[in-house]
Amino acid sequence: MNCSKVREIIFLYTDNELGEELLVSVQEHVVLCPQCARRIEYTQRLLKVVRKGCTRTTAPERLRKRILTSLRHPEVEWEG
Amino acid sequence: MSGKSTSQQRGWNFEEAAMPFVDALYNTAYRMTRNAQDAEDLVQETYLKAYRYYDKFEEGTNFKAWLFKILKNTFINNYRKKQQAPPQSDFAEIEDAFESRLSSDVSGQMKSPEEEILEDVLDEDVQRALDDLPPDYRMAVLLADLEGFSYKEIADILELPLGTVMSRLYRGRKLLESAMLTYAKEHGYLRSGEPAKMRNNQLREGTKEHK
Repeated sequence: MNCSKVREIIFLYTDNELGEELLVSVQEHVVLCPQCARRIEYTQRLLKVVRKGCTRTTAPERLRKRILTSLRHPEVEWEG
Repeated sequence: MSGKSTSQQRGWNFEEAAMPFVDALYNTAYRMTRNAQDAEDLVQETYLKAYRYYDKFEEGTNFKAWLFKILKNTFINNYRKKQQAPPQSDFAEIEDAFESRLSSDVSGQMKSPEEEILEDVLDEDVQRALDDLPPDYRMAVLLADLEGFSYKEIADILELPLGTVMSRLYRGRKLLESAMLTYAKEHGYLRSGEPAKMRNNQLREGTKEHK
């Protein structure tokens, strides 16, 4: 494992998508490399900011009604 | 008679299974279409198609991912139908603008200014940066970061190889980071009394209120 490999697979690491073997070698590298440790910490913060910024909106009530109406009465044309 | 009750039962089953995902589908639809009315139409059509093809859904597989796959296909079809001019050229331009910003701003080197600027990023910076992302990247990022799908699920929804999903997520998030930091830097400058630096038309377009 080296720094450029860590950069390459950094999102796999933060997304918990790494296989056991790679995961262990990243962890081993990070213990000895403060730069990569910092990069990982930054990436985790970055993704947190993204998730927080993607504010969730609730589907409008009229959409639920529209969907249910068209499922229950497929012959009825919905408005819009 | 029994035919009718069977179809009624099928309808109830579908409603029960599918309706809990309406918010999730709407959120992604809204971020992809960037328009409330289009998002509603997209979700409505997704549900109708899903109901029509409900028999094809394989029990025991991921129903939420199946609904998102239908949403994705409907988005692609409608989007291409709607755009008279081929949208690819626009996307390519946006991508080029991003690419140049990417190479000038985020050179791949970890610097502490980026860590500092990250603290200045507002929710609206994230949303603007997301809206600016080319659709292919935006969809991958939304599925991962908004919906929390695994890479395998995203590959299934987008009908792409795992490697392509990984590279879209990588590029998409890097582009997003670059744009977010640029936007945050702008209002950071303004706060400290320095003039905002407008780097390209896209930014100028999106930041009129700061002038």
